[in-house]
Amino acid sequence: MAFDIDKYTSTSKKVVWGDLDFDQFKSNPLPESTLRSLRYMADIEYHTVCYLRDLLVTPSHKEADVSAFMTMWNREEFWHGEALSAVLAAHGVTLDFDQLKATRLKLGWKDRLDPIKQSLLGNIVGKDFIAVHMIWGAANEWSAVAAYNRMAELEQHPVLAELLRRIAKQEARHVAFYATQARERLGKSKKAQVLARFALKNAWGPVGSSVMEPAEVTHVMGHIFAGPEGLREIRKLDEHISRMPGLEGLTIVENSLRNKYGYIAA
Amino acid sequence: MPERKEAPADGEVDMMHFPAPEFDVREYARSAAASHRDELGLDHYKTNPLTAETLRLLRYLQIIERATMTHLRGVLVTATHKDARITAFLTTWAFEKYWIADAFEQIGLAHQPEGTDVDRAPFITPPERTIREAIYANIVGLPMIAVHMTLGTIDTWLSQAAYRRLIALEPHPQLTKTIERFLELKERQLAFFEPQSRYRLTESAQARKITKRRLTKTPWPIGAMAEPPHETEFFFQRLFGSARELVSEIDSRIDSLPGQSGLSLIGKAARL
Repeated sequence: MAFDIDKYTSTSKKVVWGDLDFDQFKSNPLPESTLRSLRYMADIEYHTVCYLRDLLVTPSHKEADVSAFMTMWNREEFWHGEALSAVLAAHGVTLDFDQLKATRLKLGWKDRLDPIKQSLLGNIVGKDFIAVHMIWGAANEWSAVAAYNRMAELEQHPVLAELLRRIAKQEARHVAFYATQARERLGKSKKAQVLARFALKNAWGPVGSSVMEPAEVTHVMGHIFAGPEGLREIRKLDEHISRMPGLEGLTIVENSLRNKYGYIAA
Repeated sequence: MPERKEAPADGEVDMMHFPAPEFDVREYARSAAASHRDELGLDHYKTNPLTAETLRLLRYLQIIERATMTHLRGVLVTATHKDARITAFLTTWAFEKYWIADAFEQIGLAHQPEGTDVDRAPFITPPERTIREAIYANIVGLPMIAVHMTLGTIDTWLSQAAYRRLIALEPHPQLTKTIERFLELKERQLAFFEPQSRYRLTESAQARKITKRRLTKTPWPIGAMAEPPHETEFFFQRLFGSARELVSEIDSRIDSLPGQSGLSLIGKAARL
């Protein structure tokens, strides 16, 4: 199924929450552990621009459709950050641009060198590298949809649930773009499959794990994917990924959570 | 200009706090201009079409607006991407530019037979430059933000002048309406870029030096490299050939930026 980029761009909207009754957070506030997870989510939504940066240094951005998508996607994610930070603000937690800057500054040299590495690699490998970015993006967006929906269910807070569902709906459109792109590009090239498999197996981590402290990743993943329900969600993510051409049998999400972030389902 | 705090311990972080203090980035993001398609009045062009020259210019303007992502690439591999206020601005700026390019494309399509395909050709960009850019910019560090803010300032000045000339040369009522709206958008973008640029250039001698060097190496307008040279030649010739004083006017504005005098950037690019 083709992704209609024109339709996507013309219907791309910032997520709205002005109509939701945020006063309910006063009488019915969210627990501390949920706020901690929301803080993480807000942070990574704002950091999308860093990921965009990584995409732009490879040949991906040269294709007009990809470029159009990225413009809208980057903005939608920024607004997810704003929406979540409004929820935090209703609980007296402020997340301002300077704090975000501090997180980015902490990344230091590793981060500084990454675009160079990616650029070298991307430009040597060329077009096939786009497939890696697309499957990577798909995996991230699938995770985001699962995370927001799970959190809405876990919390059962009417206002939060509605907001998270609105965000998840936009993330689902991102999935459609990335997954369509990935399937097409992987299907066309054996080399892309090998590259993608290698990259996912060796370097994939949960969304945000490259910018946030490992302790935060552990908290959020443990919180959202707790219990047998959570484990089922994780496995669903791996199923989505392993259904892609050449990626059969990969279980990168479960592996990464278990091996690096001390995830225990039960 | 706001006063600087006494030597903050982490001076780098603190310094980024102050430029363009009156500009509300959140408000800008909130009220950004999205698709213009409903206001383009495309039917007007059916009965009163634009000249071939204007259409050729609109296509050029579309390409250079669309080259934003390529430009942003060069920006984000540097220290500039660390500043969340700036990236929030750039995110919205790229969004607005996307829709300006889209409007130009739609106007062009309105002059073509129904059902003509939109141009989805890959962008022309020099790939190897990114690597050099990333390495160089990270050695330079913070002053690169001054470079990017100054590039944004000058490019906006040039766009504004080009837009104004476009409708002066062909005062088509519908096109004029559209372009006037875009001039407002550019004015607001400038309200961020210019104070950022002036502040950062005032603050640092290194920023002034590096910016000067970078400005002379930049092909104007930004995005010109996405088009063959004869199109850029046409852009300057058609718009400014009989209005050279506008070119000098932009150059004298550039002269007014701290440490950037005597460059004659646009005059050299225009070669009139």
